[in-house]
Amino acid sequence: MSWQRLDARMILADALRVLVSLLPGVLALLLTGFEPEPLAIGPLAGLAVWGVAGAVADVVRWATTRYRITDAYVERRTGLFVRTHRSVRRDRIRSVDTSARLIQRLAGLRRVTIGAGQMNTAMEAAFTLDALSKRDAEALRRRLTGSAPEPSAEPMAAFQWRWIVYNVTGIWALVTAAGLMWGGFWTAASFGLDPGAWLNSLADWEELGPVPTAATAFAAAVLLGGVGRACSFVTEHAHFRLDRIPGEEGGTILRTTQGLFKTREVTRDDRRLRGVTVSEPLLWRWMGMADTTVITTGLSMWSSSVSVLPRGPVRLARRVAAAVIGDPALGTPLRRHPRAALRRRLLWGVLTASAGALLVLPAGSTPGAVAFAVLLPPALGLACAGHLALGHAVAGDYLVVRAGAMTRATSALRRDAVSGVQVRQSLLQWRLGLAGVWAMTAAGEGAYGARDMAAAEAAGFASAALPGYVEQFRAGSLPADRTPLTFSVPGAG
Amino acid sequence: MVNREVLLRPPRHRVERRAILLWAARALGVVLPLAGALAVAHALWDAVRPWTGPGLLALAVAGPVYATGMPLWRYAVHRWETTDDAVYAAAGWFVREWRIAPVSRIQTVDTVRGPFEQLLGLSTLTVTTASSSGAIRISGLDPQQATRAAERLSEITGRTPGDAT
Repeated sequence: MSWQRLDARMILADALRVLVSLLPGVLALLLTGFEPEPLAIGPLAGLAVWGVAGAVADVVRWATTRYRITDAYVERRTGLFVRTHRSVRRDRIRSVDTSARLIQRLAGLRRVTIGAGQMNTAMEAAFTLDALSKRDAEALRRRLTGSAPEPSAEPMAAFQWRWIVYNVTGIWALVTAAGLMWGGFWTAASFGLDPGAWLNSLADWEELGPVPTAATAFAAAVLLGGVGRACSFVTEHAHFRLDRIPGEEGGTILRTTQGLFKTREVTRDDRRLRGVTVSEPLLWRWMGMADTTVITTGLSMWSSSVSVLPRGPVRLARRVAAAVIGDPALGTPLRRHPRAALRRRLLWGVLTASAGALLVLPAGSTPGAVAFAVLLPPALGLACAGHLALGHAVAGDYLVVRAGAMTRATSALRRDAVSGVQVRQSLLQWRLGLAGVWAMTAAGEGAYGARDMAAAEAAGFASAALPGYVEQFRAGSLPADRTPLTFSVPGAG
Repeated sequence: MVNREVLLRPPRHRVERRAILLWAARALGVVLPLAGALAVAHALWDAVRPWTGPGLLALAVAGPVYATGMPLWRYAVHRWETTDDAVYAAAGWFVREWRIAPVSRIQTVDTVRGPFEQLLGLSTLTVTTASSSGAIRISGLDPQQATRAAERLSEITGRTPGDAT
């Protein structure tokens, strides 16, 4: 295949972009009779400059970028002043995403992101081709991943409107509200309106008093933020579906497609799949909220590609997780950890509260005592939650561990993916008869641990995590040359 | 009475006795600059004396204890062993850790010698696997021994097929 250009319709999309970015400024000038607020002219001018500069940069990029696909490599040359030539081996390609912004969508363009899993070297995709025509993008994706264009008849999961409930809550709703209000205020100001006066005229705030005013403001912010979050959730996740489709060389691929205006498609090679994690945030445990992510090599655990299901009900999350790994391991009853683990956590809770109190102590003993009294209950509560979350199990081919006070994460990791084990024990843990066992792996977080399990069971669990290798090092077994051992374990007695 | 021990036997080999000096040097490398900084502040600045005084006193007690106790404790704990199919190492002092990696999962084997280690005639053997948190670091080895172990591991690893992930 010879060197090819990006799609020429980019120019059209850029013209559209310039138009859209100039529009608010022109409107504002018309509405205010060419005498805009000096403070408001900044954002509008900024928007116009951003639009024009972006379009110019895009045209330059179109003119200077070439790409080609050979039997072994995907290559791209780009840049005007700094020429770069990047090539990626095709067998290293882990994911091919297509997405489109609204304007690109109108112009029939798709942005193709090729990921080669530079998990350890750089937190970025191998490269992007921005943009190709919809048909070219689909052909390219099919050529690189070998996936069929048509989804299987029945998706493993599909968008449900009730998921919105799970995605409007939380601290981000308030952040969204703040952003919306700030944006709204400036937009209104640039059109010569005074939102402050309008808010004042809504009610007699003086008479209501500060507490109801604050409560009303908070409720309004939560409501506004919730609506904002709901809109962004729907635009991002509408048409969501999760499929397992055939891939190249007889393998299979997990594919998610989602998005209202901007379609995002992520494919994950099942041969790289090592397990799955379901995490449940503590504050929303009562409504059964859960996130579902896959443990896979080659994808950074911070990348959103590891998420195979939007935040939603935990029962669905568990069902999808079981379907993804094709094993009911996550549902295995877990072995709880000893009460000593609770004692350790309670001690840490008291220490944390004391440290907090100590920081306030220079201000006097009363603030110190108050700080201690305020900090202690949540610290002890978290200690209990942390202990209740602890658990581990060996379920067939999988290792299951659960931990986390604020976010309880249950992970199932394939045993044949474990590349080493680590057992840790501090002096305090030794005193309490506890130890932690970590299974090392190339995928996901790199290590999945059963924290604070009974020390006497640690070697057995380590042995189950790495079958065939740990037995020779367990207490009672002799080194390879059968020399009788006279060993002393420090602190034993 | 609960069993407090992790039921793993200690690895076969101790590290070199000279490693105690290495760890002591590292401990002093932390304690001395800290003490120096505190002393300078104490001498030059009247206002901080209520804090630096007790700090220096605490350091005067804890510093020597740390610089002698930690290396001896480590020497009692640190052990290592390689078999035909696995690497096994125990390390730490206050927090002890045991690490086991199958030879078939090893990606790289390095020997590293820092300036202190060269002075004391010691070497560190580092064995990495595909896991980002899976490296086994065995410090305080005799350089020849470390090189031999590294060569042997590399040779066995080379015979084992697979991409170690």
